[in-house]
Amino acid sequence: MTGDRRIWLWFTPVLLVLGGVFLIPVADVIRFSFSDATLLRPVTGYGLDGYASAYGDDSLPVILRNTGLFTLLSVVSLQAMGLAIALLLVRGDRRGLWGMGLLRTIVLAAWVIPGIANGLIWQMLLSEAPFGAVNSLLRLIGLAPVAWLSDPGNAMLSAVIANVWQGSAFSMIVFYAARRAVDPVLYEAAAVDGASPTAQFLFITIPQMRGAILVNTILVTIQTLNTFDTILALTGGGPGRATEVLSLNIFNRVFYSYDLGGGSALAVLLLAISMMLTLVYLAVLMRKGTR
Amino acid sequence: MRHTLAYPLSAALALTASAALPQDLITRDRVGPADAPNVMTFRLTAFDLYSSDDATREFFEQKFLALMADYPDWRIETQLQTDNIGQEQARMLEQVRAGRGPDCAMIDSSQLGLFKSAGVLSPMNAHFTQAQIDDLFPFVRDGVTDAEGNVLAWWWFTSLQVLYRDTSLVPDAPATWDDLQAAALTTVAAGREGVLFNGGRWEGTAFDWLPTFWAQGGELVDAEGRPVFNEGDNRDKMLAAINYYKGLVDSGAAPSRVTTIINYDEFNAAAAAGTAGMFIGGNWQFAQLRGTLPADQFANWELSELPGPTADQRATGTGGWTIGAFSDDPTAVEICARMAYEIYATEGNAFQGLLPTSASLYDAYDTFDGPEYDAFAEALVNGVARPGAAIYPEISNQLQILLGDVLSGAATPEDALDAAAAAVDAAYERL
Repeated sequence: MTGDRRIWLWFTPVLLVLGGVFLIPVADVIRFSFSDATLLRPVTGYGLDGYASAYGDDSLPVILRNTGLFTLLSVVSLQAMGLAIALLLVRGDRRGLWGMGLLRTIVLAAWVIPGIANGLIWQMLLSEAPFGAVNSLLRLIGLAPVAWLSDPGNAMLSAVIANVWQGSAFSMIVFYAARRAVDPVLYEAAAVDGASPTAQFLFITIPQMRGAILVNTILVTIQTLNTFDTILALTGGGPGRATEVLSLNIFNRVFYSYDLGGGSALAVLLLAISMMLTLVYLAVLMRKGTR
Repeated sequence: MRHTLAYPLSAALALTASAALPQDLITRDRVGPADAPNVMTFRLTAFDLYSSDDATREFFEQKFLALMADYPDWRIETQLQTDNIGQEQARMLEQVRAGRGPDCAMIDSSQLGLFKSAGVLSPMNAHFTQAQIDDLFPFVRDGVTDAEGNVLAWWWFTSLQVLYRDTSLVPDAPATWDDLQAAALTTVAAGREGVLFNGGRWEGTAFDWLPTFWAQGGELVDAEGRPVFNEGDNRDKMLAAINYYKGLVDSGAAPSRVTTIINYDEFNAAAAAGTAGMFIGGNWQFAQLRGTLPADQFANWELSELPGPTADQRATGTGGWTIGAFSDDPTAVEICARMAYEIYATEGNAFQGLLPTSASLYDAYDTFDGPEYDAFAEALVNGVARPGAAIYPEISNQLQILLGDVLSGAATPEDALDAAAAAVDAAYERL
C-alpha cells in the first residue's frame, strides 16, 4: 500500500500540470459550447443554441465531407510514404550505404517546418502563374499545366500533398523503429525457404508491424483532423469551401463570426472524434500480442 | 506652409543623430525612462517604431523621443500586434472590455466601428482643432467621429485600390467594366494574362471586389449594422457585380487562377516577370513596383481609378489604420492624440509615403508631389470605407466563399449569393 501511495505522490506533479494545461482549457471549451459567448461580449446565458446553430449550418455537410476526404487521403498516403521511406532506410542501413543518416535528417526537416510555412512553400510550388515551379517543370517535359489550386477537386489533392510531404517523417520514424525491431531470423528463415521479397513483405513485415501500423494510423488521423494551418496558408479553405475542413471552419467561425459558442460546439465534435480514436488507440495498445 | 526643407532636414537629423540616440530611453518594449512614475501602454504594429528597416525605425525613434521629452514623468510600454489583424483586434476588444486593454492602440480602420459601438474609446476632441477635423476626407471624418461629433480616434493613413496597367499593351485607362474586359482580352491576345485580382479566401478578395458593388450605390448593412446586401435593389447590384467578375474569368480576360490569389505580392511578381497586362492592387504597390522593376519596365506601368459599370459610377475601397485611446487618464489620452497626429499622421506618413487622410497634407510635403498622388487623391474622392459593423468580417468571409464558388464554376451567382446571405444572417443572429 505504501508503494502505491508513493506512486501517486510521483504522479501528482504530472497530473497537476496536465490538468492545468489540458483539462482546464478543454473544460472551458465545453462550457463555452453551451453558452452564447461571442468574442465581442461575455457569456449572458447557457443553452443549446450554439449546438443548434453550428450543427444546423447548411455548410456543415460539405465541411465534414472535406474533412473526411482530406483525412482519408492523407492518412493512407502518410502510411504508404512513411512505410516506403522506412523500408528504404532499413535496407540502406543493412547494406551499409552512405548517406542514410543524411536522408533521415532531410525527411525529418520537413516535419519540423511550421504548418504555415509548409503551406506557403507549396503555394509557391503549385502556383498557377506562368512562372509557377511545378507547372513550369510540366511544360518543360511537354505536359499541360495543371490547375492545382483553382480547380476545387485538385485543390483538395494539393492540400493532401502538402500535408503528406510534411507528415511522412512522423510515420517514417514509427515504422523505422518497428521494422528495426523485427527479428532478422524470420527473414533469414524465409530466404532459406525461397520466399520472394514480396512474399517476405506481405507475410513477415506487414504482420510483424501490424501494431505499429494501427497505432500510427490513429495518431496521424488525429493529427490530420487537427491540421488547419497548412490549408490556411495554401488555399485559405478555397476556392469557395473546396478545402475548408472542420478545424479551419472552427477558426473561421470564432475569428470571423466571433461565434465563440458555436465554434466551441464544433470543437467539441472534433474533440469527440479524436477521443474515440484515442480510445481505439488505447485498446490497440492493450491488445495482447501487438508490438 | 510647405515643409519642403523641414521634412528632409528632420529626416536627415533623424538618421544622422541615430548614433547619439540614448538607447536606454527606447527598448523593445518601452519608450521613455525606465523609472518614470507614470506609465501608459501603446499597442502598435511592427512597421514603424519597430520596423525591420533601420532608417524607418530610427526616424520613428527620434520622433517618439522628441514627443516624450514633453512628458519626462511618463514612459510608454509598447506592445506589438501580429499581422493577423482580425484575430488581434478581436482579442484587443475583448481585453479592453475586461479592463485589461492598452491605454492607446492602433486600430485597423475596418474594425474601428466595432470599438466605437462598444463604447470603449475615449474622446480626443480637446487635442484636435476644428480646422484639423474639417480637413479630413469626408469618409475619414465620418469614420472617426460619433453622432455627437466626438473624435474617438485619429485615422492616420489611408489606402485604396487602383487599376495598374502596362501602357505598352493598354495605353488608355479603362473607365468601364466593358472597357476593362476588352483591354484585358487584347492583353491576352498579346500572350499575357489579362487582368489579375484577388479571388482567394482572404480579406483582400472581398475588399478589392466590393467597389464594384459600391460603385452602383449598393449597401452592405443598414444604419443599425444589419446585413441588407441581399435585399431589394442591393441584390440586383450584388448579382451585377458578381457577374462582372464571372464574365472576366469566363471570357478569359482574367485567368481562372485568380481564385488562388491571396496576396498582393502575386501582382508584383507577375509585373516583374512581364506576364500580366493589368491588375487591381493597392496604392502602396506603386512604390514597390518602382523598387522592383527595371526603370524602363517600370516606366510602362501606370495606375488609374477602378473602372465602374459606367464611366461616372466609380468607387474604391479605403483602408488604413487609426489610433485610439482607451485610457481614462487625460495625459495618456493627450499623449495618444499627439502621437497619432504629430508622429504618424503628418511626418510619419511623409517619411513612409503613406496616404494622409487630410487634403492639406498632400500639399504640405514634397513626398506627395508625384503624379501618382494626384491619381490617388482623385480616386479618394470616391472612397468608400468598409462598414464598421460587427458583422462585416463574416460578410467578408462569405463574399470570399461566394466569389470562389462562382469563379470556379461550383455555384451559380444566385445560389452562391443566397447561401452567403443565409450564412451572414445566421451569424448576425448570434452576435
